[in-house]
Amino acid sequence: MKITGYRCEQYQVRFNRPIGDVNRPTGIEVMQMGLLWIDTDEGVSGLAFSAADIADAFPLIEGRDPREVVGLWRALTADRFAAGSHRAGLVAAIDVALWDLKAKLAAEPLWRTFGATAGRVKAYASGIEYPLSDDEVFAFYRGMAERGVDGGKLKMGMDLTADIRRIGVMRDALSVASPRPRLMVDVNEYWSPKQTVRFVGEIEKHFDLTYIEEPARRWDYRGLASASRQIRAGVATGENLHSIGEVQPLIQEQAVDFLNVTPAQGGFTGCRQIAHLAHAYELPVTMMNAFANYSAHLAAALPNHFAMEVLEAGFEQCLQFEQTIEDGFIVLSERPGLGIEVDTAELRRLQADPPTGSSGHPFTRRPGAGLWVQGPEAGELGRS
Amino acid sequence: MKITDVATTLFSYDLPRYLGDANSPGGRKTGSGCLLELQTDSGMTGLGIAGTGVVPQVRALVEETLEGEDPRPVRGLWQRMASRHFKGGHDGLVNDAIAVLDMALWDLRAKSNDEPLWKTLGGARPRVPCYASGLDMPLTDAALHDYYHTMAVDHGIRAGKLKVGIDQDADLRRLGIVRDALATRTPNPQLMIDANEYWSPKQAIRKVLEFEQEFDLTWVEEPARRWDFLGLRRIKDAVKAAVCAGENLDTLGDFLPYFHHQSADIIQVSSGMGGITPALQIADAAFGFELPVALGAAPGMLHAHLAAVMPNAMTVEVFDPAPAEGVFSTDVRIDDGWLVAGDAPGLGLTIDREALTRQTVAAPPARSGPSPAGRRPGAGLYEVAITPAEASHDVGGLSV
Repeated sequence: MKITGYRCEQYQVRFNRPIGDVNRPTGIEVMQMGLLWIDTDEGVSGLAFSAADIADAFPLIEGRDPREVVGLWRALTADRFAAGSHRAGLVAAIDVALWDLKAKLAAEPLWRTFGATAGRVKAYASGIEYPLSDDEVFAFYRGMAERGVDGGKLKMGMDLTADIRRIGVMRDALSVASPRPRLMVDVNEYWSPKQTVRFVGEIEKHFDLTYIEEPARRWDYRGLASASRQIRAGVATGENLHSIGEVQPLIQEQAVDFLNVTPAQGGFTGCRQIAHLAHAYELPVTMMNAFANYSAHLAAALPNHFAMEVLEAGFEQCLQFEQTIEDGFIVLSERPGLGIEVDTAELRRLQADPPTGSSGHPFTRRPGAGLWVQGPEAGELGRS
Repeated sequence: MKITDVATTLFSYDLPRYLGDANSPGGRKTGSGCLLELQTDSGMTGLGIAGTGVVPQVRALVEETLEGEDPRPVRGLWQRMASRHFKGGHDGLVNDAIAVLDMALWDLRAKSNDEPLWKTLGGARPRVPCYASGLDMPLTDAALHDYYHTMAVDHGIRAGKLKVGIDQDADLRRLGIVRDALATRTPNPQLMIDANEYWSPKQAIRKVLEFEQEFDLTWVEEPARRWDFLGLRRIKDAVKAAVCAGENLDTLGDFLPYFHHQSADIIQVSSGMGGITPALQIADAAFGFELPVALGAAPGMLHAHLAAVMPNAMTVEVFDPAPAEGVFSTDVRIDDGWLVAGDAPGLGLTIDREALTRQTVAAPPARSGPSPAGRRPGAGLYEVAITPAEASHDVGGLSV
């Protein structure tokens, strides 16, 4: 059982709706995607969703047994350790592919390899819906609520009047799943801590918020902590940090109430470390969105997992998988590994004729962030 | 694969020497344990080793939570057992029962993959430094020397931990004996001392500073009560040696005050605390604080498997080069000062049925438990000298 090689593919997908947050409220329609396969001499391959260039790291895993994934994670993180989180994407990609391999080699779904008793994860809906009209917001959340999803997260941050109105739209749409749906909001680091205290205080006159995500800079543990102490809602953050060491100050300083976790934090291996640290502090974690919700496999096995972000934005155009959302839970299949196969014909079709539309990278920061709120320019939102 | 039943067998065994610490300086020469065999409809059996008190709790947990279940999703089953006993059972015998069942489940999980546990967990190099721990308070100076000399010369071990706490002059002298014995292997042996909670924080500071006039200590273990996170922190701030603590905590949550108040420099981790599952969680949490973990001694030296996936594993404690229990063997071995796990499936334990038959007991012999005399009088207050009766090994405890 040896790792023999790897393959990469890149392609573009077009979403089923434009997605955007306060930093890019016009939204994006197409995105560059990467696929990474790590191959073995058994003819089994592990899959990860990444365009990371792993060439310089591959000699560290070549010829090794992929089932030794945690040991290989240690080797990868130790290698060129001075680069720190700059290599996090590379480590994450390899780690995810190796876990997929490990589960496939045991002929079981990855959630069972991680030790979960069931492949079920509570979901919340996330429209990343800044470009959507109120009616479109309602339709998205109602569609999710009809499958039992009783929580939603709204992107907001530059127009408090519209934001409050749209939280109400989301709540009404979700109310068929629960009389008191869980309401979350996300400002993607657009506010300062005191702006957060003022604006969330205003929102909380109208709504009971479960949490506000990224209400200050990712590293500002003092600011996040002071915001948490002056609002009722929990503070969620962590998606832009990339290792347990970067997350530790947030936890130590009680700057976070819901820790955002993702395999981008050093793969499944690094992500699980962070969840365990959070668990020591009795903190819930919430898994960020992922292609085909692949990281739900780990979430299913975490003792302190709250709910996972589900987009259903149509990322998965050449991916084949079996998965449903039932009674508000992501239900993973019994297929081995991540349970995701790539439809090569569809991949080639996407590569030959890339879909067009406005694209996203890089994710720039909106002017005024943390200083003043720059409202929408005329026509900027393009909400129909 | 489904769990069908559990069998438990109590056994006793002769220890290779008197074992004891500041709470039982007279020591004990007899050990006892419980072999647990978790049975499945596939014929595969998961093995666990625990103390003798867990049998009723083990039976109840198997009936209530495990029977008929697929044993492979171990973390979920651990959570189910822990959640069932959430109100009153996060420590004590219930916790011990959960720990041994978790051990048996991981053994089954790895066996069902036909691979050693270290590989199931994802480890790549099942190799970690180990240190000799004689549990040596009852030993004469000559026997103390012989033990560490053998561990150094025959097994390549370069680190040792002395039980201390009652007689400071003797402790200073005896640490020199440990150092000299280990110096046959390395010019700079790592020296640790362990007071097993016999001191108050200020006693610990006075005594450790006196040690440090003569010795470079790698750590001082349990220099104050397990829950005294403020006292441990004060010791940590006052001595050069690392404070190593946590051995008698049971759950991840118990460690929260240590992490939050930076009470320990080295976190003790053991599968005996609550199972392999929480041991992995505790090590991850410690890693977030850049804290190393020191793994305790465990049946069949099984912690070699766990260390392989702990990026912060510093060292593992060993008492003897082979299990003293006699009723099972292990393929974990000491190789020139390193603990190395083998390739046998699961935990690598093999039961010796003949020995087990010979050593089976209906009830554990008196004073065969790990702390036969409880906490010694004077602890945290003043030192009570070792009595002649204790020195001759014929009493288990004092009632001062």
